[in-house]
Amino acid sequence: MSLTRRAFTTLAAAAPVAVSLAATPRPAQAAERVAVLGIDADPPTLNLALTTGYASGDIGAKLFEGLLWLDRQWNPQPSLATTWSFTPDGREYRFTLRQGVVWHDGKPFTAADVVFTFNEVLAKYHPRTAGMLKTVGAKVTAPDPQTVVIALEKAYAPFLVQMSVFEAPILPAHIYAGTDIQANPANLAPIGTGPYRFAGFARGSAVTLVRNEHWWGKPGLDKLIFQIIPQAANRASGLETGEVDAIVDFYLPKPDEPRLMQNPKLQFRKGINIPAVYFAMYNTSRGVFADKRARQALAHVIDRQRMVAQVMNGLARPGYGAFGDGFGWLLDAEDRYDVKYKHDPAAAKALLAAAGYKGETVRLVHDAARPQMRAAAAILRDNLRAIGMPMEIVALERAVQLDTVFKKRDFDITLQSYFSAGDPAIGYHRIYETNDSGRPFTNASGYSNKAVDALFAEAATAPDRDRRAVLYRKLQAILNEDLPSFVLFDEETADFATRRLTGLWPAIDARDQWGGVTLAS
Amino acid sequence: MGLLGYTLRRLLHAVPLLLAVAVLNFVLIAAAPGDPVTALVGDFPAPPDYVAKVRLDYGLDQPMPVRLARYLGHLARGDLGYSFANRAPVASLVAERLGATLKLTGTALGVASLLGVALGLAAARRAGGLLDRAVRLGATAAYAMPEFWLGQLFILAFAVWLGWLPSQGDGPLRGAAPGWAGVIEGLRYLLLPATALALRYIALIARITRARAVEVLRAEFVLAARARGASEARILLDHVLRNAAPAVLTVIGYNAGFLLAGSALTETVFGWPGIGRLLFDSIAARDTPTMLAILLMVSATVVLANLVTDVLHRLLDRRVA
Amino acid sequence: MRLPLLALGLLLFCALAAPLLAPGDPLAGSADALLAPLSPGHPLGTDDLGRDLLALLIHGSRVSLAVGLASSVCSLAIGVLAGAVAGWLGGWADAAVMRVAEFFQTLPRFVLALIVIALAGPGIGKVIAVIAVLAWPQTARVVRAEIAALRGAAFVDAARLGGMPGPAIVLREVLPQVAGPVLVLAALDVATAILLEAGLGFFGLGDPNLASWGAMLNEAQQYLRSAWWMSVFPGLAIGATVLVFNALGDAAAASLDPRGR
Repeated sequence: MSLTRRAFTTLAAAAPVAVSLAATPRPAQAAERVAVLGIDADPPTLNLALTTGYASGDIGAKLFEGLLWLDRQWNPQPSLATTWSFTPDGREYRFTLRQGVVWHDGKPFTAADVVFTFNEVLAKYHPRTAGMLKTVGAKVTAPDPQTVVIALEKAYAPFLVQMSVFEAPILPAHIYAGTDIQANPANLAPIGTGPYRFAGFARGSAVTLVRNEHWWGKPGLDKLIFQIIPQAANRASGLETGEVDAIVDFYLPKPDEPRLMQNPKLQFRKGINIPAVYFAMYNTSRGVFADKRARQALAHVIDRQRMVAQVMNGLARPGYGAFGDGFGWLLDAEDRYDVKYKHDPAAAKALLAAAGYKGETVRLVHDAARPQMRAAAAILRDNLRAIGMPMEIVALERAVQLDTVFKKRDFDITLQSYFSAGDPAIGYHRIYETNDSGRPFTNASGYSNKAVDALFAEAATAPDRDRRAVLYRKLQAILNEDLPSFVLFDEETADFATRRLTGLWPAIDARDQWGGVTLAS
Repeated sequence: MGLLGYTLRRLLHAVPLLLAVAVLNFVLIAAAPGDPVTALVGDFPAPPDYVAKVRLDYGLDQPMPVRLARYLGHLARGDLGYSFANRAPVASLVAERLGATLKLTGTALGVASLLGVALGLAAARRAGGLLDRAVRLGATAAYAMPEFWLGQLFILAFAVWLGWLPSQGDGPLRGAAPGWAGVIEGLRYLLLPATALALRYIALIARITRARAVEVLRAEFVLAARARGASEARILLDHVLRNAAPAVLTVIGYNAGFLLAGSALTETVFGWPGIGRLLFDSIAARDTPTMLAILLMVSATVVLANLVTDVLHRLLDRRVA
Repeated sequence: MRLPLLALGLLLFCALAAPLLAPGDPLAGSADALLAPLSPGHPLGTDDLGRDLLALLIHGSRVSLAVGLASSVCSLAIGVLAGAVAGWLGGWADAAVMRVAEFFQTLPRFVLALIVIALAGPGIGKVIAVIAVLAWPQTARVVRAEIAALRGAAFVDAARLGGMPGPAIVLREVLPQVAGPVLVLAALDVATAILLEAGLGFFGLGDPNLASWGAMLNEAQQYLRSAWWMSVFPGLAIGATVLVFNALGDAAAASLDPRGR
């Protein structure tokens, strides 16, 4: 049985065109429950442990599972682990694994798979988790086939948040052990434990998954097809014409979303998402923005409301403070931007004059491929012109932009957006922490503050959330004053699907937990 | 046997030409700022030793001349390299996508040739007449419109507003219907992108055909044929078409090679899984081996299309003379 | 001939008088009046940042015309020089020039321009340079053929016997003879260049500090459904301008054709 399925999978991968005909287990085509999900580009790999790419995650989350998943309120829920516990000092986590789980090829899933995945794959290749495991000094062991123990040298507050399928997908040891992980053919024809198994990948066109009969739950659909639609505007049209059944916010142009919300054939989930902030980063090591008064001057005039309305079509919340307002437990209402910096062009001009500004043109760099950055840059130029600061916009191709901003630091202002990945310690510390590595997606402002770095280090390791909140409030007080970066807005999302689908989006990440989704007839 | 010798000489001649193209493409892309590794590791700061490992794995740590030499060496052995962005050999990537592009461009060029010649001849029959003016105006307008813009308007009109045709892709994903229904379904997917791509070429071919046909229709041998009482159809087919053929053939041939690259915009707008889109995706992902392979392929196709055109030309000339 | 010339005049007027026709910075937006449909205040509506489309279109004509005309002039200069050298000298110089021309003619113009601009960063100077470098061979071929044909003509021999040096003969006697066909090509080159620039803008590679039609189309993509005017008008402007130059080329060709007279 397992042999034939392996052979089938291989065949399917080799001849993707034939899949739509061959992958149908039921004789009656009409009874088949199929959902088409829109994505934006070919996934570079389907091995979720090698990438944080969005489309890879979208597909991989249906093929693989993590030890647990996070519901809409961020509570961990059982997946491959049924129960877990941790010591009060937050330095040892114990997971009890689900019984009777099998891989898509029929081999049993055990604790050995988890230990292998952590030690040999995640610790070496996962772009986010590898760094985390190293920093906390994680030791992963399996005292028995149903139990995994992870001991940490340093406590790490968001540890469980990083045990989801996106941060720590569990891979089959029998497929990957002893191979070159990056070149393993299973990366493009994966074997997981998830509700759907891989059936075919026709590049540029679609990735097809079929129901996993042996999943520990009951998959609600017979087939999931990920259609690759390169033009953003056409992804929205696809929902309207019925060619596509569901699309996650990430792939949709914001201007289309208000219209889609009016569509009686569609349902949506709005405002539930893992926080992400859009911000302006200043170069504090050259020119006028080396002086903090110049940065404060801009805080008095940057029109965040207008950006929310025109850049995000209302699907955002105006910049609140150093970490946005996505994590309610750490906010400080007394110290937010709105209180500290009222709209005041005169004050802004005075601050600029005090900083010795003589009307030089400032250079703003952004990624040309992102329409939100283009619009935000245009509004910023209007705002700066009002206080006599001319601005040149430099829109660069992605890799060139990363090089210009993070390696060469040839900018005065740059527009970036960072994803929190579920906790400020995972995604937001990098905006402000001292950094001279030249690595992309870090702090390129040149801002370096020992007190800030120390507070961040403590906030990452304090296991208690109240204690962390205190630390983050201290950080906001400093960062809202120094403003090496200025948060423009917090992104809000809206995920869409046809009304015929039920059981959608139980998880905080709309891509997760599709096993229970089904199609009403 | 002059033709065979000519062909061989031209093929030999093409080798240094394509070598120069390969070198230029490589140097151009290698000289650009930006790190292909960043495109590989995603949107998060990857650990430095991980980045170093990826760089080493793909040979990106070597200086440019070494990489160029290595690239040319592989090329000489017919090895197009490995796409790190897609984690697959470039040759298989290209092979997977070639069919879709050939289907689209082949249809577009075929339709454009038939329709263009037909319209051109029809217009030439009564030069200055209503039909002639309509064709000329239509051709001038169609030739001026940016095809990516037209493609978007097509989707809006025929897929979204009218709901007649699918907006995306090269075929139904939810399972194809069997038999003729399946073929017709496939054609529905082809119609919009092929039309958007063909319009410019219809216009071009119609104009050339008309111009040549008008000339030929004025020629003495046509007057003589007419005087002999030959039918209009006979004159059009025997004299006009045969004499206009070389010019029309030239236009088709010289454009056929570039159609491969020209379809990139249309493929992107319509989500058509062809070579052109692979090229755009590879630019966005800094996937140098794939970029190089497709660019070289486009140039090779151009060289080949020109050669075939010239050879056909010689054959036709011989017959005409 | 008269109609396309009139249209060209109108275009040039728009481009030159843009600051008078649409005063102020066309790129300056406003917090209100975003995505406003056509109205007396905004005859062509506004875009997502509340900018007047008519003003953007008028200013955008400058970029399109600048790229079209400048790249055409540059490629003309290279092409005439290369063609004259090849045609007049013949022999190995001819062979060398033609090999280089052939090389450039096998390169896909749009894709290569896209790569260069994507990697080198946007800027209309770069766009002009790329187009000129890729477009000259056609002109060179025409000039070469004409000059090679004229080399043995009687008036050339007369000039040579009169002691006129080679370059001077080419410049004064021969080049004026080939001006006609070259101008036809130049008009078509302008049209191609404008389309190419628009395509780059469409892909988000326009200069964000300038109003340009291609960039407008790029911005309009997101609003195709909610604000059709953002896409339709720049598209029509591009089409109309390209049409004008094509028509100019046709008209020039027709007036050169002895049978057409």
